[in-house]
Amino acid sequence: MEKSRTKESSSRGDGSKKDKANTHKLALKGSSKMVSEFFEYSINSILYQRGVYPAEDFHAVKKYGLNMLVTSDDQVKAYIKKIMSQLNKWMVGQKISKLVIVFTGKETGDHVERWQFDVQLNKSSKGKSSSRSADKENTAPAGDAEAPPSDEQIQGAIRALFRQITASVTFLPELTEPCTFNVLVYADADSEVPVEWGDSDAKEIDGGEKVKLRSFSTTNHRVDTMVSYKLDD
Amino acid sequence: YTKPAPEKLAYESSIAKACGVNPQTRILAFKPAAPESNKPIDLRSQYNRPLKPANSLSAQFRRRILTSPERVLDAPNIVDDYYLNVLDWSCNNQVAIGLGSSVYVWSAESGGVSSLLETSPEQHVSSLKWSNDGAFVSVGLSTGEVQIWDVEDQQKVRSMFGHETRVGVMAWNKHLLTTGARNGWMFNHDVRIANHKTATLDCHTGEICGLDWRSDGSQLAAGGNDNLVSIWDARALNAPKFQKTNHTAAVKALSWCPWTHNLLATGGGSHDRHIHFWNTTTGARVNSIDTGSQVTSLNWSTQYKEIASTSGFPDNSISVWSYPSLVKNIEIPAHESRVLHSCLSPDGQTLATAAADESLKFWKIFEKKPGSASG
Repeated sequence: MEKSRTKESSSRGDGSKKDKANTHKLALKGSSKMVSEFFEYSINSILYQRGVYPAEDFHAVKKYGLNMLVTSDDQVKAYIKKIMSQLNKWMVGQKISKLVIVFTGKETGDHVERWQFDVQLNKSSKGKSSSRSADKENTAPAGDAEAPPSDEQIQGAIRALFRQITASVTFLPELTEPCTFNVLVYADADSEVPVEWGDSDAKEIDGGEKVKLRSFSTTNHRVDTMVSYKLDD
Repeated sequence: YTKPAPEKLAYESSIAKACGVNPQTRILAFKPAAPESNKPIDLRSQYNRPLKPANSLSAQFRRRILTSPERVLDAPNIVDDYYLNVLDWSCNNQVAIGLGSSVYVWSAESGGVSSLLETSPEQHVSSLKWSNDGAFVSVGLSTGEVQIWDVEDQQKVRSMFGHETRVGVMAWNKHLLTTGARNGWMFNHDVRIANHKTATLDCHTGEICGLDWRSDGSQLAAGGNDNLVSIWDARALNAPKFQKTNHTAAVKALSWCPWTHNLLATGGGSHDRHIHFWNTTTGARVNSIDTGSQVTSLNWSTQYKEIASTSGFPDNSISVWSYPSLVKNIEIPAHESRVLHSCLSPDGQTLATAAADESLKFWKIFEKKPGSASG
């Protein structure tokens, strides 16, 4: 029952999107929380991996069955927390389609590395494109592919992704100059924007190399990860 | 602020679409600047950082080890064969080295070199070993012949036959010479008597490449190309006391600990890369090190509780490990190609290494501390 409901709302206009959010509030909340949590660990992890802050500033915690490195620096912690709390709100309100972390050289101001996380609502998961063309499918019983991933599977997929992020140091060029980082989001035009957030360009890397990493799906979201970086001349 | 005309909006949106920009989304940036980090960052140390703090040895307690060779000698025509053992240092401070079909003796005291022997060019020296008193050197040949030479007189004392394949390694225990051959056979020779062969030790199916008697002569350890380590009791030579299968490659490196008599270290070849430590009384494996490269030889230090290993690909280095903590004290890139043989000087301070890059190098890695009692 629930499932067919989900599908109906997939052939939505913008209005029905909100209804959907109400009907599945609980599942969506959990899923959003999971994704936000993933972002938090990703930001920490990437800051550590890329040497934006010294290694002594990080401590290891067990998460996803891995040793995740999390900052212990109060300022950095507070900074990430501020970002995360707003991100959380947007996630629950389904306002966000991308989260981006950009590394910029302090001296040159060049963008040297860009981590992009694409968030898609999984409402119709696999059937999305086909159900558009043939609405009949909505009435058909849900196939196996529709089964939401179990907690175990999600954890496994996230673990695999983090391993990949860690392994990316093997191909990413060393950040030779001291870098700072920015966090961007791609939000819907009608999102509420607090004062601390402002419009920005995409801060893309010109002529950058792009590598797509693994994806993972929760009950409601699908997250794709991509890193782009400047090739050494 | 005036409301934009609808046609203008439509125009803007079509432009946006053409540019691949979705007008439905805004890109937002978190405006406050990220906190600055003042501390210098070395990424290299970041990646290598152990999860536990490295408190084991701080620099001031670690001893200094010389990283450059004290002396380098040429070793032309050295046979690049992992299975041979053609370097040995006698208690009279003489170094014997087999180069192709010749054996040279270099005196570490005077620096003089003499050519001890030259076999016919179609065979080559596959092993050599000084007798414990340093008066004789035994030479194994690729034909399976074993010769005993008096070094002072530069005379051959005798030839001993019996092996059908080349003799790649040998070890002395007083008047007893144990030889290991390519077909996996080991013979004990009593070099004093005419009928020299006193025992056949048969348990290996591959070439014997490591062989060492314990200093008290009660146990013998052998390693083979069949990846086996066999440990023999001198009183019962019909079967090995223990056979160890843990190594996954040929075992050339073998060394008995000078201060713990039943401790044996063995090192495996390029597919194995481990050093295992054995209690040869119980047969238990007491320690292991993954060295990351082919282990070609092992030498215990008598002065420090340390063991030096030499390696092949990729570093061709000498590593010095503390025992039993297994902390790597130093790794010295030693040669241009794999280190084939090594031996310690009689005073235990200097390690000689010979490599396929045709050089023989002397490293004072176990230098006595000035003022310390003689070890």
